[in-house]
Amino acid sequence: MPVAASAIYFLNLRGDVLINRLYRDDVGGNMVDAFRMHIMQTKELGTCPVRQIGGCSFFYMRISNVYLVIVVSSNANVACAFKFVVEAVALFKSYFGGQFDEDSIRNNFVLIYELLDEIMDFGYPQNLSPEILKLYITQEGVRSPFSSKPTDKPVPNATLQVTGAVGWRREGLVYKKNEVFLDIVESVNLLMSSKGSVLRCDVTGKILMKCFLSGMPDLKLGLNDKVGLEKESQLKSRPAKSGKTIELDDVTFHQCVNLTRFNSEKTVSFVPPDGEFELMKYRITEGVNLPFRVLPTIKELGRTRMEVNVKVKSVFGAKMFALGVVVKVPVPKQTAKTSFQVTSGRAKYNAALNCIVWKIRKFPGQTESTMSAEVELISTMAEKKSSTKPPIQMEFQVPMFTASGLRVRFLKVWEKSGYNTVEWVRYITKAGSYEIRC
Amino acid sequence: MAPPPQFQRSSSPSQPSGKSEISDLKLQLRQLAGSRAPGADDAKRELFKKVISHMTVGVDVSSLFSEMVMCSATSDIVLKKMCYLYVGNYAKGNPDLALLTINFLQRDCRDEDPMIRGLALRSLCSLRVTNLVEYLVGPLGSGLKDPNAYVRTVAAMGVLKLYHISASACVDADFPSMLKRLMLNDPDSQVVANCLSSLQEIWSAEANTSEEAAREREALLSKPLVYHLLNRIKEFNEWAQCLILDLISNYIPSDNDEIFDIMNLLEDRLQHANGAVVLGTIKVFLHLTLSMADVHQQVYERIKAPLLTLMSSGSPEQSYAVLSHLHLLVMRAPVLFSSDYKHFYCQYSEPSYVKKLKLEMLTAIANESNTYEIVTELCEYAANVDVSIAREAIRAVGKIALQQYDVNAIVDRLLQFLEMEKDYVTAETLVLVKDLLRKYPQWSHDCIAVVGNISSKNVQEPKAKSALIWMLGEYSQDMPEAPYILENLIDNWDDEHSSEVRLHLLTAVMKCFFKRPPETQNALGAALAAGLADFRQDVHDRALFYYRLLQYDESTAERVVNPPKQAVSVFADTQSSELKDRIFDEFNSLSVIYQKPSYMFTGKEHRGLTDISEELGNLSVEAQPAAEALPAQIYEANDVDLLLSTSEKEEVRGPVNNSSAYRAPDYDSTTAALVSSQVPLEADLSIPGLPAYNPQVSSAIDDLLGLGLSVAPTPAPPPLALNPKAALDPGSFQRKWSQLAISSSQEFCIEPRAVVALATPQTLLRHMQGHHIQCIASGGQPPSFKFFFYAQRAGQPPSFFLVECLVNSSSARVQVKIKADDGAAAGDFSALFQAALSKFGE
Repeated sequence: MPVAASAIYFLNLRGDVLINRLYRDDVGGNMVDAFRMHIMQTKELGTCPVRQIGGCSFFYMRISNVYLVIVVSSNANVACAFKFVVEAVALFKSYFGGQFDEDSIRNNFVLIYELLDEIMDFGYPQNLSPEILKLYITQEGVRSPFSSKPTDKPVPNATLQVTGAVGWRREGLVYKKNEVFLDIVESVNLLMSSKGSVLRCDVTGKILMKCFLSGMPDLKLGLNDKVGLEKESQLKSRPAKSGKTIELDDVTFHQCVNLTRFNSEKTVSFVPPDGEFELMKYRITEGVNLPFRVLPTIKELGRTRMEVNVKVKSVFGAKMFALGVVVKVPVPKQTAKTSFQVTSGRAKYNAALNCIVWKIRKFPGQTESTMSAEVELISTMAEKKSSTKPPIQMEFQVPMFTASGLRVRFLKVWEKSGYNTVEWVRYITKAGSYEIRC
Repeated sequence: MAPPPQFQRSSSPSQPSGKSEISDLKLQLRQLAGSRAPGADDAKRELFKKVISHMTVGVDVSSLFSEMVMCSATSDIVLKKMCYLYVGNYAKGNPDLALLTINFLQRDCRDEDPMIRGLALRSLCSLRVTNLVEYLVGPLGSGLKDPNAYVRTVAAMGVLKLYHISASACVDADFPSMLKRLMLNDPDSQVVANCLSSLQEIWSAEANTSEEAAREREALLSKPLVYHLLNRIKEFNEWAQCLILDLISNYIPSDNDEIFDIMNLLEDRLQHANGAVVLGTIKVFLHLTLSMADVHQQVYERIKAPLLTLMSSGSPEQSYAVLSHLHLLVMRAPVLFSSDYKHFYCQYSEPSYVKKLKLEMLTAIANESNTYEIVTELCEYAANVDVSIAREAIRAVGKIALQQYDVNAIVDRLLQFLEMEKDYVTAETLVLVKDLLRKYPQWSHDCIAVVGNISSKNVQEPKAKSALIWMLGEYSQDMPEAPYILENLIDNWDDEHSSEVRLHLLTAVMKCFFKRPPETQNALGAALAAGLADFRQDVHDRALFYYRLLQYDESTAERVVNPPKQAVSVFADTQSSELKDRIFDEFNSLSVIYQKPSYMFTGKEHRGLTDISEELGNLSVEAQPAAEALPAQIYEANDVDLLLSTSEKEEVRGPVNNSSAYRAPDYDSTTAALVSSQVPLEADLSIPGLPAYNPQVSSAIDDLLGLGLSVAPTPAPPPLALNPKAALDPGSFQRKWSQLAISSSQEFCIEPRAVVALATPQTLLRHMQGHHIQCIASGGQPPSFKFFFYAQRAGQPPSFFLVECLVNSSSARVQVKIKADDGAAAGDFSALFQAALSKFGE
């Protein structure tokens, strides 16, 4: 039985209830207390997101300073429940203008109750699509059309939409200027051993779209991925163009994408929802271009001193540059004093994180930058050298660069009125978990 | 909107300030109740908000019920919604007052605005007051026929709510069949989905009492309906798709073509952005292809990439859920991910629950080709800041070492751990080295050299200390210092609080004594004296036993304590395969996370089966140590030394050890078990005074199971071929049943695992179908079930066999009555039937 939830609670970090919504009677009312007693007030918190207490299972997630707790008594579908929470939070965020925290919940609790009523009925998830819900649940509260303006009837229309087949787009949209924005956002994950060999490296990317298009447009997206190109050259019976092709390990699509057509023709075609959405996600493990090389050398000079040298090289195109580069170099807990020299940016010792944080605002391509630091340690009674060394972690953003090399080849828009559209494409690569052991 | 006032944070139901606040609210609500002044709605909104926020934090505001109802006459939707919410929350506690709301809710159910109709209907069904059911039936009936789809979706769910309030009212009003019609004909997908979820729940609950309902439930899995839903699956939203996929995973296709058709149709669902849809699809694929080994293997290959994507995208909680599923799959097909091991390398910032599962994955997929890399990676984690992960990593290395043939490199790594000089690393490693030596005694030289250098002062954890002491005793001839270390430990006997360690100390010093008598004699004397004075019964008894044994005959004592040992070849698996299969059946649910079948944790739903399933539940999990102990005792009989295998299992066994330490195989039980006369065992040496060995280990198992039954032997199936596609309609079955005489009647017992599997009687039907025995009707409520089966003999003349089968799951007894067209073949068929049944649950 894919019941996703018997009850949902929103708690703040102290355990105060912000929202509670009971969907089914099979869990008692004192479930919050059980959660507080057995999870929040113990060391358990955060050790496992699924826990069973007295016949009921608790799934919980922390999002900013709020705990979202789902309680069920049956053998629920866990993946569905977590996905539901994630989607629900996305929905709330889109209502609250991107915010989801204790304050925004307190300020909007009536709205949240309204939404909770619509998105789940008796424990079964219903419609969670913000585009549709926004038609009939508005922050102002829709006055019933019959009380004030009998001619204006948006509501019956909306209810049709709630359940329609093309659930993600309503008809009759009109824009003066038809525009599409396409963002390819990649996060590159790296795990490098202390010897400099790549242990693990992959890219998870997503294509975000923002559509301001009139009517019911049909879109087709072409990428330089291997399968798609091969299929295309097969169909047009001409050899594939030379040039880089990308092998996607796995792709998932927004529900608007016609998957049957993707499987047969390998093209991504869809009728987009209005506004912003995530068109597709992909994963690549082969042929990843790492934007940065990090070369650390750590020398221990006696028991109370060490020398840390970190060289960072940018290996993307010289015309590009990375923004917001942060390198976190861990140092031992008993660090007493640090002094640095950097060729660019600024470094600081952060005692709370036990690391040296080196920030470079703008990092041009094909350059390198070094930091050398001297660390003085408090000599401790414990003779044992600390053998636990966290990895060096790195954050960055490189606009106009994709670590996978993925490119948009075309984006075609068809609409029966035949209007012209303006398409904007952006690329950006961010650091996912970029770790270098030392 | 203004933030709710600050006082709520501190106010609690008992505080007087809260009370005066409520009476204040009451007054204000009353003033506004009849007001039609402009702005009255806004004022009401503010008041309602206050009430709701009180309600949320747990302040009892039910005393405002009548005022709230009075204020509910409004056209403002937001006000209405708040009022509905309030009413829904308190109606159950105030059934009399709830009556007040019926009027306005019913009126709203007839509103022109479908939104309001839907909302009112939903609230009406959420009142949960039994004596108001009569007011529900009418609006629900018209709701199901409403021209607006929104209202119909609400009504479809409303029927289920009504069913939970009063099942009879729901069935009497014929709502289930209305839902069925709606499900088949409604153009709106959400209505269909809600009908389906309601019907599934209603028929499943009804099926226990009514045969018709059981048939209806089966009909939900009928080919036309399944195809109807499958063909439309893309019209449904993601959540409804999960629902349908779950339904289809139980569907039994008639032939292979059908299986491929379904898989082709659903393949693109693996690309869906919603992980729940992907997992649902995977479940369908896996279950459909269970009978086709090659295709099943291909399915594994196909689902690999989507699963890895799911794992690496989304929140850590979602990864956790996916990883649990991956772990289940990898246990079934270990080769599956062996080349993708790098995906399971931990990231530094991941939460520990994800890391833990990744470590388990790495352990499970290690094989000849990737062991080196995996172990290297695990060694990195041993230096992890998170101590629990470091421990897990070391255990993982040990587990891999126990799985592999080429342990050379791993042993070196383990020994390096000992040089790290971190207490917890040393402790974990010692336990592993001990296990390793039991399996690979040939490594003793390398290990002993390193272990001998460890100061026992640095080892504090009982388990690790026991391991160290065991090695000291076992290899005392190779460790020059052994007698002196033991002596030192015995001198500090009183500082040692764990009985486990004391027991090990006694045994080790005995072993050492026989190998190096002059050096150990003093220590042995001291140990026996200390042991005899010990207030712990088991320590005392073991000391006494050794003492008497030595008194009786030294050479016998040596044979008892230092017998020739065989290396342990395989350490027992922690989970039985039948449990694993049950969990696999419940793919994509909590079972996978808990690693238990659902009947073990959803107690309420299986109340009827409580007795038996709890008993069995204990058996299979909690009492597992006991079950494991039995084979262990067979080992003892062969004088194979018995320390416990992996530390994980030691934890499981913990409670058993405490309650009856005699039987615990955890100790150096060559001797411990001999002391205990409760579990008789055979020893090669005949020691006078010890009870005779009872060779019937199997009956001991039965007794442990607590069933006290002897299990029916499995007769070999006689050469009677059945028609795999036998068909008989219920009418002719009934006619035949009344005409024919009983040709065979039998009563026998079934295996406990069959009883476990019977928790879902449908599995029995499917199982019997596999043996070409069809079910025509079934019913009953736990613990007694009734099934009617039929089968047809292959070839000419086509004679039928009819079976009435009564199963009592609490006594594990089965009564079978067989009627046959050809009475002569009834005997053969009966044997065949029994053979088929005995395989059930395997």
